[in-house]
Amino acid sequence: MDDLFTPPSGTWQRVSPKLATIRRILILIPSALLVVAGVLLLLLLAGLQWIGGVLIVLALAGAVWGWLWAGRNQRSWGYAENADDLLVTRGVMFKRLVAIPYGRMQFVDVEAGPLARAYGVATVTLHTASPETAADIPGLPAAEATRLRNRLTELGEAHGAGV
Amino acid sequence: MVPGSDVATEAVGLRTHPLTSVVQGALWAAAASVGLISSIFTGDGWGDMNALLSLAISLVGGLVLGMGFGFLTWRFTRYVIDGTELRINSGIITKASRRIPYERIQSVDIAEPLVARIFGLAELRIEMAGGKDSRTSLRFLSLADARDLRRVLLARAHGTSPDDAPADEQRSIITVVSPERVMIGTVLSLDFLFAAVGSIALIVGAIWFGQFVVALGGIIPLGTWLAQIIAKRILQQWDFTLSRGDRGLRIERGLLSRTSQTIPYARVQGIAIKEPFVWRRFGWLRLEVDVAGYASHGDDEGVDSSSILLPIADRALADAVIAELIPGFATDVPRTAAPRRSRAFAPIGWRYRWVGANERTFVAREGWIERTTSIVPHHKTQSVELRQGPLQRRRRLATVEVHTPQGPVDADGRNLDADEARAVVLAQLARARAARG
Repeated sequence: MDDLFTPPSGTWQRVSPKLATIRRILILIPSALLVVAGVLLLLLLAGLQWIGGVLIVLALAGAVWGWLWAGRNQRSWGYAENADDLLVTRGVMFKRLVAIPYGRMQFVDVEAGPLARAYGVATVTLHTASPETAADIPGLPAAEATRLRNRLTELGEAHGAGV
Repeated sequence: MVPGSDVATEAVGLRTHPLTSVVQGALWAAAASVGLISSIFTGDGWGDMNALLSLAISLVGGLVLGMGFGFLTWRFTRYVIDGTELRINSGIITKASRRIPYERIQSVDIAEPLVARIFGLAELRIEMAGGKDSRTSLRFLSLADARDLRRVLLARAHGTSPDDAPADEQRSIITVVSPERVMIGTVLSLDFLFAAVGSIALIVGAIWFGQFVVALGGIIPLGTWLAQIIAKRILQQWDFTLSRGDRGLRIERGLLSRTSQTIPYARVQGIAIKEPFVWRRFGWLRLEVDVAGYASHGDDEGVDSSSILLPIADRALADAVIAELIPGFATDVPRTAAPRRSRAFAPIGWRYRWVGANERTFVAREGWIERTTSIVPHHKTQSVELRQGPLQRRRRLATVEVHTPQGPVDADGRNLDADEARAVVLAQLARARAARG
């Protein structure tokens, strides 16, 4: 699109497409429940059938929108390990690029929920002394997440400068 | 090590002052009666019980319960100072032991809440970086003990032996802000004027129309706001003394409750110069400082008051103080200003918005009612961000943020030209890298 959010050197490492799959599942479950509720309303409540209809339409619209969003959003994530900083980008409508010098990292978290574990991906989060940093990278394959965590911890120690 | 010896060492250690329980009781009684008084004023009280009787009950009840609780807490709290860390063991049922490695200490403050001050006691607050739980309080110690412990902790935090530090550190006073000055400054600030004029207008209106009950709904919140402004800006900044020591600046302030803060030179993450609307006409300003750990708790004293470096000052004094904490700063730097097409986002404010940097600091200016200039030393840059929303994209604008630990300093350049914003981000990364060495 434009070159505003390209890394200063190299290219973005993209995250796993499984992130989109996981998010689609998380969106489809509540939509499916709402559709079921809508159908029940449609069949059982004679006077309030329009509510059931509205519910089904909204749930389907939400599911379609969520399906498309998950794909676009997954493709927008990227990270790059430069010589001195880690860069993370994300967002389609609201784009964001954050650069964290390795020496500023206080600690690195790796987490994976049950669904993420089933798909073998994890989220790596970097913490600096600033709460605004908010640098998380979701949808990393588990092996890559561990590698990145170890690498970042190593680099953080090598560059470490305290608070 | 002999098994059990760990337990034995934990049982020794020092106790806080025995009067702690009395102070705790008085604090609880005060809290209970303040809560009740406000509910009596709004007409609730305790059902149909006599207001005075209920007040007496809450006072005595708060005192007894607080003293009992305070005694137990005191009984089970001990602290140990050894070669590497300060350990505080506490807890009546759930035992807690907190270890504070000296090198993690960001700052050590002494607070004397009014009740404790009457008994000559003080609370020691130790700040570490990060998280909501980063403050450790040791309450209460005698004032002399608290000062002594602070001296030891600060010496240890800088890796020197406490024996080397003289018992009475040489301090030179930089400035004393007189209470009159603070009061004049407060009276000339817009929110005070608004709250005061609003309260008076409501009271006059209520008397004029005889609708006192209706107006009460507006008077109570406005009056509370006014009282908060007075407490925060005048009582807490009373007799504000800024002095210089070997290891940092020291702030002593407060009329009823005294606070003594130490800001070590190396721990300053950034400084904000704030010039409120009316003050600007007189060339006055206020300085606020970012120290990791300070702003992460909204305790009874409020977030802002402990971040204030100078409640009111002239430009020359402020520049001298900033130069002491951030050597080589300048606000007269090459600037990247917000372009004219950003006026859709800030019809007036866009004119006053720019970012810039020299070889030591990053500077961001914004605001037309209260002008804020944020100064961040390059080597304290935590991370740098570039952001763009859909509306900004249509106008080729983007936002730059230089992240600092939570606090009053917010070095953001909003709605800059997109390409310039990207250049600022990359340049700032390079400068931060160079500054870290």
